[in-house]
Amino acid sequence: MHRVIRFVINGKAVEVEVPPHWTLLRLLREKLGLTGTKEGCGIGECGACTVLLDGEPVNACLVLAPKVEGKRVETVEGLGSRESLHPLQQSFIEHGAVQCGFCTPGILMASKALLERNRHPTREEIKVAISGHLCRCTGYHQIIEAIEAVAK
Amino acid sequence: MISSFDYRIPKTLEEATDLLWKTQGKSKIIGGGTDLVIGLRKGVVRPQCLIDVTNIEELRKIDEKDGILSIGAAVTHTEVASSSSVKEYGRILSDAVSEIGSPEIRNLGTIGGNIVNASPAADTIPPLIVLNAICRVVSKKQEREVPLGELFKGPYTTSIEPYEILAQVSFQKLTRDVRSVFLRLARREAMAIARMSMAIVLQMDPEKCVVEDIRICVGAVTPTPQRMFDAEVILKGEPADQNLLTKASQKISEAMVRRSGVRASTSYKVPVVESLFLRAMSKALGEEM
Repeated sequence: MHRVIRFVINGKAVEVEVPPHWTLLRLLREKLGLTGTKEGCGIGECGACTVLLDGEPVNACLVLAPKVEGKRVETVEGLGSRESLHPLQQSFIEHGAVQCGFCTPGILMASKALLERNRHPTREEIKVAISGHLCRCTGYHQIIEAIEAVAK
Repeated sequence: MISSFDYRIPKTLEEATDLLWKTQGKSKIIGGGTDLVIGLRKGVVRPQCLIDVTNIEELRKIDEKDGILSIGAAVTHTEVASSSSVKEYGRILSDAVSEIGSPEIRNLGTIGGNIVNASPAADTIPPLIVLNAICRVVSKKQEREVPLGELFKGPYTTSIEPYEILAQVSFQKLTRDVRSVFLRLARREAMAIARMSMAIVLQMDPEKCVVEDIRICVGAVTPTPQRMFDAEVILKGEPADQNLLTKASQKISEAMVRRSGVRASTSYKVPVVESLFLRAMSKALGEEM
């Protein structure tokens, strides 16, 4: 039993056919080959799979694929290109905010949403915005500084 | 691994109740999915059909009418937390939802979902109970209003029938002289499920300096969030002095033990639930802690 789902991924309209019990995360990784979005815990606790749904961060592991019908989805692949990185990506490199890199795509998407809503967030607002993300390398300090640098 | 099902996205409440009626017992309503998708993944929920109610306009609104604030079941936690009317007339609810999970969870999760999931630790339930909230439950055949406190039959169990849907939750707007406080304890601030929570709505008589009305509800330490009537009774009509507050706090821990029994954690929970109540009261009374 498959279902046709039409939505916009990183600015491009797509039509895919997947079983309705697939999650958005699985659709992105296995159907569209967008493996930048990671699967950590699979139960909405770690934030590694965070993508933007109509501009707001959500856990892609908790979103069933049919839910994105007609909506806009943004993943880390849509953030910048190899030639021209997004300012957040550049700042993460400069501040040493990437260690193993597993949590990075999710945190980048959450911070992008934050900066679009609030161009100059305080340190406290940054901490709240990434409170749903676990970094097991525990590099939180550098991550917060990298976001803060772009927010200035 | 999730087993497959049909997925329907009705646009109206009527369409949703029709579908529920036709597929009785075999379908399940999905809101944000923050609890349900985990259940599907674990295989503890195996519906043949999922009915996604988040595209039903009627369930997506926050309305004010005749002193009543109504919140549609599919309004997300983020929307409740940022609503200026909820902040003004039901502050205790905005405070509680703004602490749920993480921003990602709050963008998906809905107030109706949090209620019908009926977790003993649900963050919206104790505030809604002390707000005397009423639930509008709709089916193809009838519509009924149920006080939210009477909806819960046990942990994760409600009196909502498989063919019914929770459409709205509403409460009378709090006036400015009413104070309300929600406090929760958890292992850490973000992403942790409440270990204990306390919701209080308090109205003082400004002339006599006594408690005119008070409603207290605890969460996470009883099988379902529960009003603490014994404590309310001894406070009503009396000045809220330290001596009386201590007595009331003991009534709360006694009621908790009566309902939950003595457990390994009881020696921790008794003094902590008492302190949480005293802390909430002192915040409600405007004292610095």
